[in-house]
Amino acid sequence: MRSLRRAFLALGVTGLIAAVLKLRGTGGVPPQTGGWRELSGPDLRS
Amino acid sequence: MRVGVVGAGAVGSRAARQLASTPAIAEVVVLDVDLSRARAVVASISQPSRVHEAPLQADADLPAGLDVVVLALPPGGHRAVAERALERGASVVSSSDQVADVRGLLDLHAEARERGLVVAVGAGFAPGLTCVLANHAAGTFDTVDEVHVAKVGTGGPSCARQHHDALAGEAIDWRDGAWMRRRGGSGRELCWFPDPVGSADCYRAALPDALLLVPAFPGVGRVTARVGANRRDRFTARLPMLRRPHPEGGVGAVRVEVRGRRGGGRDVSVLGAMDRPGVAAGAVAALAAAWIGEGQLGEPGAGGLAARVAAAPFLSELARRGVKAASFVGADAARQPT
Repeated sequence: MRSLRRAFLALGVTGLIAAVLKLRGTGGVPPQTGGWRELSGPDLRS
Repeated sequence: MRVGVVGAGAVGSRAARQLASTPAIAEVVVLDVDLSRARAVVASISQPSRVHEAPLQADADLPAGLDVVVLALPPGGHRAVAERALERGASVVSSSDQVADVRGLLDLHAEARERGLVVAVGAGFAPGLTCVLANHAAGTFDTVDEVHVAKVGTGGPSCARQHHDALAGEAIDWRDGAWMRRRGGSGRELCWFPDPVGSADCYRAALPDALLLVPAFPGVGRVTARVGANRRDRFTARLPMLRRPHPEGGVGAVRVEVRGRRGGGRDVSVLGAMDRPGVAAGAVAALAAAWIGEGQLGEPGAGGLAARVAAAPFLSELARRGVKAASFVGADAARQPT
């Protein structure tokens, strides 16, 4: 019984840590339009 | 022109190869404490008459007659070798991205100026290519308010160790005219890099970019730098590395976001590049060394590339060497870092 309780406690603590790690920070939103275009010719004319 | 490349690792070997294929460079000397590594790099280059190896002594003694020394050593020892190079009358190009190295090299400004030599600090992938991209983007603004740099990926084992240490270190941000110290591993931002890297979560870390960018853009309000990391990287950053770093990482990328005013309104420009970090760093360091020889890297003294190069021709020459920059075009290019 005691080992079962410890296992549940360990699972709970792991889940809590995972949730904190997942939720911390503001993250961001991926761009919905546009994309990368290679710089060439007129872009690199000084 | 004679150029010494100190360090025969992922960056040094690429820098030596790039220098060997530069017509203005008469001779390249590859130096390493492990002579067999230097010898292997020389053997892999197809111009044997112009490239040879030499042992790097423990006291960092350098051969006489070098015009420029490219430092591609593991982070931590760049200042000592740079001092020896200056004593020997050689300009210096350092690829280190360690804060202590960058501070130490910037402190050599007066000595370099007195000797009429150049110390190009942070001439790698990031900082280095990022500084040139920031310079290029800034040229399209009337005033620059903010510069935000992000990098993902690592080069050789030393770069991987530096990435690990940086996440556990103290980040240096420039905010409203003052330096702010923030905890490494904090401040998650989802950054969008050139394809095929795409999106990556990036965090504050002990990165020297702001030290090099702030002097280049007088009046800039905010400068930040972040590095791509996963949760395991963050979780284990304060522990010793759990496994030996890889010989070389995969494809990496950099992204530079510049905010400012132009044409009476606020605007944002996002530039980036994608390559193996060791390859791109070697190309940037080699080109910086070649430009020193041609007198194109500004007045004597120490500083980052943002303040020293004409960005467009530098990027154009890098593109010719295979390291291509890109611009993000789209309404959602901007993000607002915290």
